[in-house]
Amino acid sequence: MHRRWLITFASTFLLWSVVVQLNHYLAPLGAYLFVDGLLVAFAALRLSLRNGLPATLLMGLSIDAAEPVPFGTHLLLFAVMHIVIFRLRTRIPREETVIGVVVALLANLALIFGLSFVTLGNHPAAGAAWMRIFADLGWSQLFIVAIAPWFFALQERALELGRVDLAEESRRPF
Amino acid sequence: MPSKRFDQAKPFVVLGIVVLTWILIPVAVKSFLRAGFYELQAPIQVTASYARDLQEYWAERTHSNKELMEAGRELRHVYAGYEFQAQQVEALRAEIARLEQLLRLPSNPHYRFEPARVAQRDFSGWWQKLVIRKGANYGIPAGAPVVYSGGVVGRVRAVHAYTADVDFVTSPSVRLAATIENDSRPVSYQGGDNPPLAPARGIVEFVPPDIFTSAKDPKRLVTSGLGGMFPPGLTIGYITRLEASTDGLFKSGEVALDPRLSELTEVTVLVPLNPE
Repeated sequence: MHRRWLITFASTFLLWSVVVQLNHYLAPLGAYLFVDGLLVAFAALRLSLRNGLPATLLMGLSIDAAEPVPFGTHLLLFAVMHIVIFRLRTRIPREETVIGVVVALLANLALIFGLSFVTLGNHPAAGAAWMRIFADLGWSQLFIVAIAPWFFALQERALELGRVDLAEESRRPF
Repeated sequence: MPSKRFDQAKPFVVLGIVVLTWILIPVAVKSFLRAGFYELQAPIQVTASYARDLQEYWAERTHSNKELMEAGRELRHVYAGYEFQAQQVEALRAEIARLEQLLRLPSNPHYRFEPARVAQRDFSGWWQKLVIRKGANYGIPAGAPVVYSGGVVGRVRAVHAYTADVDFVTSPSVRLAATIENDSRPVSYQGGDNPPLAPARGIVEFVPPDIFTSAKDPKRLVTSGLGGMFPPGLTIGYITRLEASTDGLFKSGEVALDPRLSELTEVTVLVPLNPE
């Protein structure tokens, strides 16, 4: 049972580590990739609440530990986003990759605004900051469209390797 | 029916429990969790940084002997110049010590220079930070100034076992007391103006109204030494634009920063020798 959320957390953490390295190289160009929506989407769409939420919360804590935000910011934002997607997932064909990509894009949009409202309170140049955030949002959404199908396939294969029946897992109510 | 209703609300009940649990967790546990999660992922950042160093090493191995000889010759010239400057610095230090003794002035803070490699750059619209490959293992303290050959880089925000987080000079959380070169009146510098696809800029405030500057004739902004954190005279950037602030008493404007800042691979941490 534990390996379901551990596998999902491990593959999500891998993606985040890769994006951190990409951001290192993008830093001199004045661009930044934000993919938090993608980190939440798969677990919320395809796993039960019992297995998906721990993976999402662990990812939130990992990001909180590394970023200069109050500890718990990502944890709470991710938890809210996970629950909202989980609650709405019965109304959409969630196994479809295209739907997964759309959900990841919408989640990313919501999380980027959520984080901005939390962190930009006393910003000395809020106008410039919002301009930068909108530009970064643009690159990030394009990046998500490009890698989300690969990332969802990676998560599915990783769970298959861990002998997890994703169809059965997906049918569990909680 | 009530059971179905509860099933629909269950995810939100779980969310409520998560939020409540997080609020009730003691701060000490949260601090421990933060340190634990950070140290778990720190090896990934450091390993990636070492991999980049190795990549750089192999790229440098491709240089021909002729190129290396030319570089060595240039280095000898630079070294000769620095040797002369080092002698001058020693003479000036002796003079400062003599004047301090004569005038019974408290001595300026002294620092140990700790060079460190940059392991990771993280420049977003919300924050701008560096991770350096030295931390508590080299006695780096939180709040220590970080500099490079061109001036101020930032200050150490958090120290971990083998790494440290540096708030970059362009980060909105960095605020410094500064002066304009050849003017002793203090002004305030703050980071935070980070436009997309363009070099970051700083913001200067409380500039006296008799100071004029332009992009063609920028004024150098240096640390004032007030507050005791940064030694005086370190370059922050160049003021390229000034306009009257809303209160009309002062001016505020933009500070152009060195474009090399965003590509730094090596910085120096100034570790105070006599911390108060």
